[in-house]
Amino acid sequence: MRKLLAQPASAQRLSVCLLAVALVLYPLVFSDAFYRDVGVTFLLAAISASAWNIVGGYAGQVSVGHSMFFGLGAYVPLLFYTLWGWPTVAGIPVGILLSVGLAVIIGLPTFRLSGHYFSMATIAVAELIRIFVGTWPLVGGAIGLQGPAMARGWWDLTFRGDLPYYYIFLAVLALVLATTFMLERRRFGYYLRAIKSSARAARSLGVPVRRVKLQALALSAAFTSAAGSLYGVKTGFIDPDSGFGILVSVQMVIFAALGGAGTLFGPLVGALILVPLQTAANTWFGGGGSGATFVIYGGIIVLIARFEPGGLFDLWRRLAPLLRRRAHAA
Amino acid sequence: MLLEARNVAKAFGDFRAVAGADLAVEQGEIVGLIGPNGAGKSTFFNCLAGDTLPTTGRILFDGADLTHASPEAHARAGIGRTFQVPTTFDDMSVLANVMVGAFLRHPHRNDAREHARRIVELTGLRADQPARSLGTPGRKRLEIARVLASGPRLLLLDESLAGLTPGELQEAIALVRRIHQMGVTIVIVEHIMEVIMTLTRRVLVFNQGRVIASGSPEQVVRDEAVIEAYLGRGARRQRSE
Amino acid sequence: MVLIQVIVGGLLLGAIYALFSSGLTLIWGMMNFINFAHGEFVMLGMYVALLVVVWLGGGPAAFGFAAAIALFALGVAVYALLIRHVVRGPMLAQILSSFGLALLLRYTAFWIFSANFVSLPQTSLAGTIAIGGVYLPVAQVVAGLVAVVLTIALHLLLTRSTLGSRLLAVAEDRTAAMLMGIRPDRMQALTWGLSAGAAGIAGALLATAYPWSPSVGETFGLLAFVTVALGGFGSVLGSLYAGLIIGLIEALSAYWLGAIYKDIVVYGLFVALLWLRPQGLMGKA
Repeated sequence: MRKLLAQPASAQRLSVCLLAVALVLYPLVFSDAFYRDVGVTFLLAAISASAWNIVGGYAGQVSVGHSMFFGLGAYVPLLFYTLWGWPTVAGIPVGILLSVGLAVIIGLPTFRLSGHYFSMATIAVAELIRIFVGTWPLVGGAIGLQGPAMARGWWDLTFRGDLPYYYIFLAVLALVLATTFMLERRRFGYYLRAIKSSARAARSLGVPVRRVKLQALALSAAFTSAAGSLYGVKTGFIDPDSGFGILVSVQMVIFAALGGAGTLFGPLVGALILVPLQTAANTWFGGGGSGATFVIYGGIIVLIARFEPGGLFDLWRRLAPLLRRRAHAA
Repeated sequence: MLLEARNVAKAFGDFRAVAGADLAVEQGEIVGLIGPNGAGKSTFFNCLAGDTLPTTGRILFDGADLTHASPEAHARAGIGRTFQVPTTFDDMSVLANVMVGAFLRHPHRNDAREHARRIVELTGLRADQPARSLGTPGRKRLEIARVLASGPRLLLLDESLAGLTPGELQEAIALVRRIHQMGVTIVIVEHIMEVIMTLTRRVLVFNQGRVIASGSPEQVVRDEAVIEAYLGRGARRQRSE
Repeated sequence: MVLIQVIVGGLLLGAIYALFSSGLTLIWGMMNFINFAHGEFVMLGMYVALLVVVWLGGGPAAFGFAAAIALFALGVAVYALLIRHVVRGPMLAQILSSFGLALLLRYTAFWIFSANFVSLPQTSLAGTIAIGGVYLPVAQVVAGLVAVVLTIALHLLLTRSTLGSRLLAVAEDRTAAMLMGIRPDRMQALTWGLSAGAAGIAGALLATAYPWSPSVGETFGLLAFVTVALGGFGSVLGSLYAGLIIGLIEALSAYWLGAIYKDIVVYGLFVALLWLRPQGLMGKA
């Protein structure tokens, strides 16, 4: 243990490897349907929070309406199935394209202005879409849409049991994290962090701020849309609230912010802590726990904003040297 | 002529911060810009750097019209600048700060890092130090390093040497000299006359948004209008206290 | 005749939108800060009115006053305990502070008051008046007119009084204001008190004439965004005009298209504004 604390870099590498192995083995060790469901829920939360993190964490453009991309991604595959009987898998890329388009529509005007405009626009547009979808019978109105009950082929992505979903989700999570990791190390990643710190200084050094923000939002929207699609095909059901509702956006923000917005593994850590807690709360309090969930989430968000805007990762970064010193002294 | 600003004016509502200023800078010069507080130097600077859109006038750089160009376009064209209040990227290390500048001409990370390392060494900073932990003199130095890494042909220094101890000041002056020897043309806003006297051959004096005098530093400090501008201000201050 | 009734009703409701939106725009103008919990302040004002009526049997003047005082105090407390610590911090902390507060207030209200719609018991403002064939509930007329008067009063307070110029001085240059002997923290706490107080009175006025549930906070919060976007960020007079316009648009689109489409029209307007005139009709860029 002392050795691990003394070498933060290798300790980090080791914990990442351990985490990867644990995630791969988890559903094999816990074969119970309940635990697998928790695992799938966790992966989905980690994917969408990591996707949010690209624009909200790294670029510092705080979206509180990311459900618009999640919902689009969830609706399009089921819409394809319901309207034309097309394979749900074909809806995933279309959902991504629409989400990227939406990202551009929102980003172009608001990224010229202060970050507050962007935050405000995201929540207003998400709400606009939620209400609009609820009044539009073609897309299921307030009732929502259902996916295929029985798979007609693999391309419906409809499986019995959670295991296939678990590994698909895990693969997508790996993809999101790998993409973020690569971007973090390249010029794009440096530019994102520079913009977050001071857009004015970044521009003075030739950083095309609006374009970089827009690219970050588009990428984030694409991954969030994919997360929504996975949710849609896995659940086989979507309605305005589970797709575009405010809780969807809130969860992305809170998982990322608790773990550490703008860090690679922050959102994953946040989901790792909160998803089991949420599941436990729902099990103990029954369905009535959802209101309490919101109250608690609101409280946690306020506390993070007030005391630890850097999240747990930042806290650890500050505490680790102290612990190391103590370990040396002992 | 490397930089040519013609009749640049900037008004905020009724207030004319810059009221028709001209500036022409030859390749290889160091030009000083002095004047009392609120004379419009920083606003003029912001116009030159593309940070503020001038109300009227034109700004030409190396023959190209940059009047309406964005700050990032100015940087690409080769105009670099520092800020009066240093604006470093506080969540990043010194090296990463400088790399952000270096990426402008070195898109690949390894090239940018190599280039940034050389600049960090030149400026006497510590590469792995977090920018957050630097004091004001360190931040100002980091700003210079950062903009230098972006490969400017013209450097606009906005009070980059203010607030330094005498020892630090000598180091900073030497640094500016070294940058100048690397072939970078410099326009420097400064209050400290020692800096202006030692570094520049030519000085422009701003007052109330206009250039009221220009010439060698020695000429300028004897100029009637300049003395009045400064003393007038001193007299006003005495009255208000 | 019906159309005139719709228009007048829309303007009266719009006046209340103007009042609470002026609170939002005040915070933006003074502190460059967006309060996501502003709609929840309005909602809390409504419940304060309800509690005063039910528990103390107070009349409209009493519960209006009580809502203003209670929300003023809440605004000051929120500033002192939360906003003061994040306002110069990272953007994430700024956004999350009031966003988290909104969730906390909204769902605590759900928890305490349940999701059911409630309305005030009959007050002294019951009944309707007829003006030239147009029938309007007295409560709506009184609430709308009071809202206009209060919004104008807030505008005058900011532009014509010493207090207003002190608040502005802090907004312009904190350090300079401090040198002039103004205490910025106190002024900004006051700004938050005024902002939340305006929302509280607006809530009480709304409560006299309309039923509500805890979810109205979200609706009113978004409406305030749209109003401020239309009227210009930081302009109280702008939000007065914009509030009236939005009340009118809402009423007309509900009348012509159906009630469920009025939100779509209003939010659609917001998106259009972001594209066409992000600084608002009267705002500065």
